[in-house]
Amino acid sequence: MRAIEALVTELARLPGIGRKTAQRLTFHLLQQGPEESSRLARALDTVATTVRACAECGYVAEEERCEFCRDARRDAGLICVVEEAASVQAVERSTEFRGRYHVLGGRLSPLDGIGPESLRIDSLLERVRGGGVREVILATNPSMEGEVTATYLHQVLAGEGLRVTRLARGLPMGGDLEYVDGVTLAHALLARQDIVG
Amino acid sequence: MPPITTPAIILGALRYGDTSKIVRLATRDLGIRSALAKGALRPRSRFGASLQLLSEGVAHLYLKETRDLQTLAAFDLTSLRSGLAADLPRFSAAAAIGEVAWRFSPAESHPDSYDLLSGALTVLETAPEEAIEVLGLRMLWRLVSVLGFAPALDRCARDGTPLPPDTPLRFSAAEGGGLCSRCADGHGVSTLAPVDRRALEALVSSEAELPVFDERHAASHRRLFARFLRHHLAEGGEMPAITFWEERSWVSR
Repeated sequence: MRAIEALVTELARLPGIGRKTAQRLTFHLLQQGPEESSRLARALDTVATTVRACAECGYVAEEERCEFCRDARRDAGLICVVEEAASVQAVERSTEFRGRYHVLGGRLSPLDGIGPESLRIDSLLERVRGGGVREVILATNPSMEGEVTATYLHQVLAGEGLRVTRLARGLPMGGDLEYVDGVTLAHALLARQDIVG
Repeated sequence: MPPITTPAIILGALRYGDTSKIVRLATRDLGIRSALAKGALRPRSRFGASLQLLSEGVAHLYLKETRDLQTLAAFDLTSLRSGLAADLPRFSAAAAIGEVAWRFSPAESHPDSYDLLSGALTVLETAPEEAIEVLGLRMLWRLVSVLGFAPALDRCARDGTPLPPDTPLRFSAAEGGGLCSRCADGHGVSTLAPVDRRALEALVSSEAELPVFDERHAASHRRLFARFLRHHLAEGGEMPAITFWEERSWVSR
């Protein structure tokens, strides 16, 4: 049937969902009845029509500015730069960060043809030059592309008269040295700290 | 059956599902291979942080020759090559070399191209910033030469007529190198002044002293290489890393 085939095709385009899973989801929805499917369709439609990129930081927003940029209690002088909007939620889980965000929309990747012009770097510079920013935290992923994006941003921000920092890398809380890979352990050793107190 | 081990370099990696990665490998003993690294994204994965772009190690592969996608059992890291992330020109040159290796290395074992790729990444990782441009060009020309596509520079690429040294070179990307005056008629050629010809000869050689370029000449040589590559190797396909390296869009910012 054409309608079922169309839904399977659309679902299979989502990340992490193959054709078999898409078929399973489709038949699950059919079994649940029309109300269930309509609710899902309405939710998708609402997201598609009301959610947009925040004009300031690029995170998702239902108004012109996102919840973090509108929140006057958050420190506007501290900007955490992340690759994707999903990373904002990860940083929020730390509950330690009370600044604002800037979503690049990706990372530098020559193999994918993604250069600086494809990222929201100009708007980051605009925010910084707008005044009031005293620190930028580079929270790009600890991958080769994330690292080169961070070093590039560091060079771009040099001379702007602010502190530029990078998230530390090291041992996970609750981990066990025996199971930590050599690369992570090497970073942890390089970034070792004095015991305070 | 035990896994087969071979030195390997990661040429690309993409997420597969929530916890796994598919990696593209240049291997010394098995040529170019794609493999599934199950669970590579789990916090306690046995792969740890080793499956990074351009990192080198010993791959343990379960091979089934009837399949395109093999299984990566382990990857013992020998070099993470984190120094390649020190600046964008360095990383873009390394990515361009990786892309050439991926697109044009044979599916079977080709130790010479593997060794050259490995050596090139090591050189680029530690070279001073001002040498990256010319070193990147040399490594790219050396790699295509090792892969069997060396440009003809001392003999006409069409009829084999010796080309007199220290004269302008009529270079045809389509024909694969310099052309004599007779063959150059009617062909789209770029004429290289003697100084640029000597620079190209030095880049293609593994032993000659490296030429010194200003930005204008470096851009010309990047364009020449990219044109040569597209004519001879790419068969019309996209080469984003080569385009990225050739255009250096970040410079104008």
